[in-house]
Amino acid sequence: MGDKTLYRLTWLALVMSLGHHLDHLLRGNAVGWPVTEEVNAFTASLVVYPIIITGLLLYRAGRVGPGFWALVSGGGAVFVSAVHFGPGAVEPAELILDHYQPPVLGWLAFAWLVTFVTVLAITCVYETRLWARQRQVRRAARSAAGAGSIR
Amino acid sequence: MTATTPPPSAAGGGQPVVGLQPSSAATTGGVGGAVLVVGTRAGLWLGVQLGLVGLLLLARQAATGGQALDEAAGWWMVYGALVDLGTLGVIFWLLRRDGGSYRGLLGPPTTAWQVALGAAGVLAASVPAVVFSAELTAAVYGQDATAPMFAVVDLPGWASVASVLVVPLLAELAEPVAFLGVVLPRLERRLGPSWLAATIVVAIWAAEHALYPLLVSGGGLDWGFAAYRVASVLPFLAAWTAAYYALGRRLLPIMAARWVFNGGSALALALGQVT
Repeated sequence: MGDKTLYRLTWLALVMSLGHHLDHLLRGNAVGWPVTEEVNAFTASLVVYPIIITGLLLYRAGRVGPGFWALVSGGGAVFVSAVHFGPGAVEPAELILDHYQPPVLGWLAFAWLVTFVTVLAITCVYETRLWARQRQVRRAARSAAGAGSIR
Repeated sequence: MTATTPPPSAAGGGQPVVGLQPSSAATTGGVGGAVLVVGTRAGLWLGVQLGLVGLLLLARQAATGGQALDEAAGWWMVYGALVDLGTLGVIFWLLRRDGGSYRGLLGPPTTAWQVALGAAGVLAASVPAVVFSAELTAAVYGQDATAPMFAVVDLPGWASVASVLVVPLLAELAEPVAFLGVVLPRLERRLGPSWLAATIVVAIWAAEHALYPLLVSGGGLDWGFAAYRVASVLPFLAAWTAAYYALGRRLLPIMAARWVFNGGSALALALGQVT
């Protein structure tokens, strides 16, 4: 069945990701394959959709847990931050802010990106906490079972 | 802790603390307490600054009210301690009236490693807000410009030491506890949906930042700066409030991360790294 909040946060991150990719398409200044022939960060970022869909199916089947999602969210936050915010950012904020008319649209797209990365980071924090609690519960159950067998 | 207050671990009626239920200590008392906390902070920010303006005018250290306000602004990182002391006073008064303990406001028990790991997560989640704020400062005040609230700070040595060692600590004991530990649970209880209460808290918390420091521009209050201040702080407060829920309503990691953040800013200013 899985954790309801985790599902909600994953869907929210998916919608935010789609919105950010739409922003890339509207700007047209940082796109790659399949829109152009160049394979770049945009192309690499598309891998997130099959990961999310596969992850949701596996999570529903109980094959992966919050630890998997913490890695996906955390990895996503680091990747998007490195591409847009890092000191060696290949797509710095100016690529978004300076390519919309009127400029307020650029600020909206940038605010969307900031919210997207924050959602990924917060989701990772939540999933890590869930993961830690799950491990704690499992350990307690194991030690309880061990104590039972001694008796 | 009074006899009427169950320990924090009892929140949720004996169930494990999942993170979406406010602690029972925090939810006692009505929305009047929340209004009192917010009103006290706003009143103190305005009162302390106007009081300083009056003193500067009386001592003839400033020729006009506007000049006195600008002079007073240089000390905002120090007189903020008075606001936080007043806030703590109101929080303890509410705890005595409604029952509960200060520790109960900080959420479920948190071990040292949980605080450290949580604080690292909160700091990481604050990175997008830092980038947004920097871009906003560059757009409003020019590339490589220092944000005005830091540019106006002008303190003697002893006050700089206080602004690094004492003020950030007091701020963490008062500000996040007031908004997330006192105001948020009371609003949740009154309004119902947590997202609505959280949105209102973030909006009020951000709006409070317009009150300090008050700067003068063209003979009147600098409303542009006030608007910039609210917009630049909004993503931080939204991220910290979201982190509060993600951490199962644990305040200590958020307080620790904010302390690193605010203490670091004060230290950079004191060392002349920000000019």
